[in-house]
Amino acid sequence: MSSEIWVVADLKIDGSIRQVTFEALSEAKARLAAKFGGPVCGVLLGANVSSLAGELGKYGAEKVYVVENETLKDFNTEGYTIALSELIKKHQPAVVITGNTVFGQDYFPGVAARVGAGVTMDAIEVDATDDKKLQIKRFSHSSKAIPTKLFLDHYPMMTTVRPNSFKAVEDPKTPEVINEAVTIDPGDIKTKVIEIKAKESDRPELTEADRVGSGGRGLGSEENFKHVYELADILGAAVGATRAAVDAGYCPYDMQVGQTGKAVSPNLYIAIAISGSVQHFAGMGSSKVIVAINKDPEAPIFQKCDYGIVGDLFDVLPPFTARVKSLLSQS
Amino acid sequence: MKILVVVSQTQDTEAKIKVSSSGDSVDTGGMKWIMNPYDEFAVEEAIQTKEKHGGEVVIVSMGPARVVETIRQALAMGADSAIHIADDSFADIDSFAVGKVIASEIKKSGEFDIIFTGMKIIDEESGQVGVQIAEELGIPHVSLVSKVVEIDPAAKKAVCQKEIDGGHMVVEVQLPCLITCPDAMNEPRYASLPGIMKAKKKPLKEVPVADIGLEEIGLTADSLGKAGARVKTVEIKVPEIQRKLKIIKGQDEPMVKGAEVESAAEELVKLLREEAKVI
Ligand SMILES: Cc1cc2nc3c(=O)[nH]c(=O)nc-3n(C[C@H](O)[C@H](O)[C@H](O)COP(=O)(O)OP(=O)(O)OC[C@H]3O[C@@H](n4cnc5c(N)ncnc54)[C@H](O)[C@@H]3O)c2cc1C
Ligand SMILES: Nc1ncnc2c1ncn2[C@@H]1O[C@H](COP(=O)(O)O)[C@@H](O)[C@H]1O
Repeated sequence: MSSEIWVVADLKIDGSIRQVTFEALSEAKARLAAKFGGPVCGVLLGANVSSLAGELGKYGAEKVYVVENETLKDFNTEGYTIALSELIKKHQPAVVITGNTVFGQDYFPGVAARVGAGVTMDAIEVDATDDKKLQIKRFSHSSKAIPTKLFLDHYPMMTTVRPNSFKAVEDPKTPEVINEAVTIDPGDIKTKVIEIKAKESDRPELTEADRVGSGGRGLGSEENFKHVYELADILGAAVGATRAAVDAGYCPYDMQVGQTGKAVSPNLYIAIAISGSVQHFAGMGSSKVIVAINKDPEAPIFQKCDYGIVGDLFDVLPPFTARVKSLLSQS
Repeated sequence: MKILVVVSQTQDTEAKIKVSSSGDSVDTGGMKWIMNPYDEFAVEEAIQTKEKHGGEVVIVSMGPARVVETIRQALAMGADSAIHIADDSFADIDSFAVGKVIASEIKKSGEFDIIFTGMKIIDEESGQVGVQIAEELGIPHVSLVSKVVEIDPAAKKAVCQKEIDGGHMVVEVQLPCLITCPDAMNEPRYASLPGIMKAKKKPLKEVPVADIGLEEIGLTADSLGKAGARVKTVEIKVPEIQRKLKIIKGQDEPMVKGAEVESAAEELVKLLREEAKVI
């Protein structure tokens, strides 16, 4: 085992690097580098990705391993699994981290099984013991519990990390770029991407957003969701929803926040006409500030929020939105 | 087609969570055990696949005797038979060993076309066993499938859609394959009364974990307990997030009304700017 700590870059559909990658680099540097005595390194897997190495350097990567391969043009499970497994076997890093995105969730457990590693998913804290064992915290039991997980004698120690859990801090380095050739037999690619489509939206993505405005069943219709969009756009926020709102057809499933939807942890979460179920909180309970607007004073959300107004959303939201708008246009 | 569903039983996390006196596990005393909600989607998808293409649905589950109840529920929904890997020391096992043991039993059960699993179990929320099983079996997988667009058993392929951050993706995968199921991919059916009656007579094979042949799959007896885990829980905390609970209410009735609405909106904006400093 070497003393290197790897962060595998997570790429968006447009090929740019996802923020969680920078967060992971910064956190690895702050919490792990000294304990392992090794450098923090970036890993880029894709086609035409070499040019991104500098961006990883900006957040403290001292080395960047690059695998350029046409089969890695779009994310594909087997390609990523083969490429990362080969790199791990060759260089034996101590720790390997990536974002707990749809992609990270798809291939990290497979890579771990292939290289004989220990793996955890969706860490919200990373740390190490004095004898160089990775130790992470994560949520379990619908986010009602936080277990600490300790890695034991299987290497590398791999984990995905939840977006928005750490601060990305610039720490410019000029990384040494190491090009690695990995042979990927086209016969090994058994999942083929036949369509990949970006959603047309100027709004930030839910899992990365710093602010989220969310609507529940109380909105009453798809049409009424415009009140949520309007507030969100003024705040530069992403828009989320409860399962009840999704089930009622007010918005698509990719907006669902909760145990069976997306996990978000923004600075500000505004819950509009949301009762505050356990399952919804499983996805947003770690938000820094929670605001509720609900007409039922007994709604559970009023027991677990920071600020709230008991009132009808159709009365309260327009003046609230107007005031936020005028405040933000002044500053 | 032969369709497998890997089904787990989980603690109902609706309940209040209490840490056991050892500090490193959740007290399960008095807790309700249910079929993992994601696995319900997996069972439903399997049954719909069978209804379309014919064949059989086999349930595979690992755990102590209590999981038989969950297996019966899957059979009552319409699955045909089940394999129960019976393990009484189950509490301390880590996800890696679970995946390995289940995969080895699947290998022994002969050829199959497609496997459905849940995306994660809602108590531990480990989120890795499905993908790991595919890797152990050497078959492709598509995770977090929001919609199975098409299965073509003759051409041995399936087309699946999955939502990705910022868009969606359509993937064609060769059979046999494994699919992990998130929420909202279908609407799981309830078991009917005749279904429940029939389930009692459906074949349920019990495989004691001792019969697995742990050495052959690279595990030891230790692997099934804490001693052999790759990752172990050393502590569990129930976070007590202190919320401010500053709720603005009306004068006469709880709801703000009339002129109160304007002042409530103003007060909330002020709190968010000056106290919380988030806008
Ligand atoms: C296995 C499982 C998984 C689940 N996963 C999720 C998940 O991922 N995400 C999720 O969100 N849920 C999930 N749920 C569902 C969850 O249990 C709740 O049913 C759901 O969160 C409720 O959504 P809601 O708050 O929008 O609706 P409701 O509980 O119906 O609440 C609506 C609220 O709107 C208020 N209201 C109505 N009209 C107005 C108005 N004019 N002005 C102001 N307030 C108004 C009402 O007072 C009420 O509090 C899951 C459930 C199960 C069993
Ligand atoms: N003990 C088990 N028995 C059967 N299936 C399981 C078991 N544990 C996990 N699974 C399957 O793997 C999925 C993911 O679980 P996990 O990785 O534990 O979160 C579940 O939804 C089940 O389909």
